[in-house]
Amino acid sequence: MDTQWPRWEVFKQDTPAKPHQAVGSVHAADPQHALLTARNIFARRPQAISMWVVRAEDIFSWTKEELAENPPPEAAKQTEPLAYGFQPLTFCVFRKTSHKRSMTFVDYVGEVSASSPEDALKQAQQQFGDVEALAWWIVPTDRLAKSDPGSETVESWFAPATDKTYKQQQYYATIGSHVSKHKLGRETDDEE
Amino acid sequence: MPAKYGLPSDPDYSLRLAEFEARIGRGEKIEPGDWMPEEYRRQLIRMISQHAHSEVVGMLPEGAWINRAPTLKRKMILIAKVQDEAGHGQYLYHAAETLGVSREAMLEALLSGKAKYSSIFNYPTLTWADIGTIGWLVDGAAIKNQTMLAAGSYGPYSRAMVRICAEEAFHHKQGKEMVLFYARGSEKQRQMAQDAINRWWWPALMMMGPHDADSPNSEVLTRWGIKTKSNDTVRQEFINEHAPEILDAGLQVPDPDLHQDDKGNWVHGPINWDEFWQVVGGNGPMNKERLEARRKAHDEGAWVRSALETYAAKLQKATVAV
Ligand SMILES: [Fe+2]
Ligand SMILES: [Fe+2]
Repeated sequence: MDTQWPRWEVFKQDTPAKPHQAVGSVHAADPQHALLTARNIFARRPQAISMWVVRAEDIFSWTKEELAENPPPEAAKQTEPLAYGFQPLTFCVFRKTSHKRSMTFVDYVGEVSASSPEDALKQAQQQFGDVEALAWWIVPTDRLAKSDPGSETVESWFAPATDKTYKQQQYYATIGSHVSKHKLGRETDDEE
Repeated sequence: MPAKYGLPSDPDYSLRLAEFEARIGRGEKIEPGDWMPEEYRRQLIRMISQHAHSEVVGMLPEGAWINRAPTLKRKMILIAKVQDEAGHGQYLYHAAETLGVSREAMLEALLSGKAKYSSIFNYPTLTWADIGTIGWLVDGAAIKNQTMLAAGSYGPYSRAMVRICAEEAFHHKQGKEMVLFYARGSEKQRQMAQDAINRWWWPALMMMGPHDADSPNSEVLTRWGIKTKSNDTVRQEFINEHAPEILDAGLQVPDPDLHQDDKGNWVHGPINWDEFWQVVGGNGPMNKERLEARRKAHDEGAWVRSALETYAAKLQKATVAV
């Protein structure tokens, strides 16, 4: 019996200059609950100004391997003229481009308007094809729930952690003998 | 849709396996949706869910000291650390879910006592000095292991590890600071620190698991890049860092055989694996209490979950009505 709440994927934006990035998921009963839980789980440290959540089932995803094996069928072209009421949908496009060690998955790259998720993927590949994509996520824009961008909310959701410097390892940097003193001739560090 | 999880009986298994292993060899990350051997998936679910449970149960020994912390500063640090461990459990459940196992099934396995978690959390925290020692030695051992796992081949697990390691560094340092502070303190404080180290040193060494020769899963885990270093290698890294630091602080390592070999490695005496298997098998000092505490927390949270569900249902109705 599966009674668990829906799973929501979480996107976190660290600074205005950075895109929203997929950080992981939470289970929650509704969008506000998902945003609050996401905040508690993924923003216990200062680096955040905004969060988006979307139900996992509303995400269309393709890895490079999946696309190579099973190209999505030629997107059904919307032939009805716009005058008959067809409105293209807006989709948010997320992309992963590197195998490098990272704590985030796909990055938000922009929006496309398209007639279907497959069509959105096709447009994304054209518009954001400058770098090879290892994975794509396509999300209907109206399915995203976003944290309130108002400065008051940003302050109360994300700022309280900034003065909790004791949560940062640098706070303790000067104690004891430095680890490097005890490091033996190990192979080069691959942590960076 | 082609099967994502390959079985040796599949006609194309060996071909796909070769491609898969070549990808790992090139340092590529395997992502949800990519082909992988069913055995790779099974091993990952086993490891990640055990790891998630360890983070969750790991809150209990330290949580027990939050309301007894000696100063407000130490209390805030401890609350932040325990909160982090809750988050680590969540990151890891997420990573396991990407392999098609539900969070509810994993929690159910934990609460029913079917699931395993790190045996270190089945030891009691007897004094406040245990809190510092856990940060220094237990989180210190965890970091060594997690840093190794962060280099692993499965994208979601690796990412969870990178995120966790960044936070663990705080856990490690606050603990080390506390123990070194006690080591410089009064006679009584030095005794407390030494007593805690005496009790946690060996369980910390056991955290890396059995010796390589007795570790049956290691070969396949290494070949598929799930583990990137062996148990004994990680254990050696831990001892090489922590043994000299404990000695520098004027404290003792509770191992009469501990010595440095000609390569500079600190060599430990025999580990009591009987004790390890006893604790893994459910007979550790705190196994029962830990599970009972988890179940109690789960049951006592039932009204919160039900309130949230009721509210969500109301919202849903309101949206439909509009
Ligand atoms: Fe942790
Ligand atoms: Fe920790």
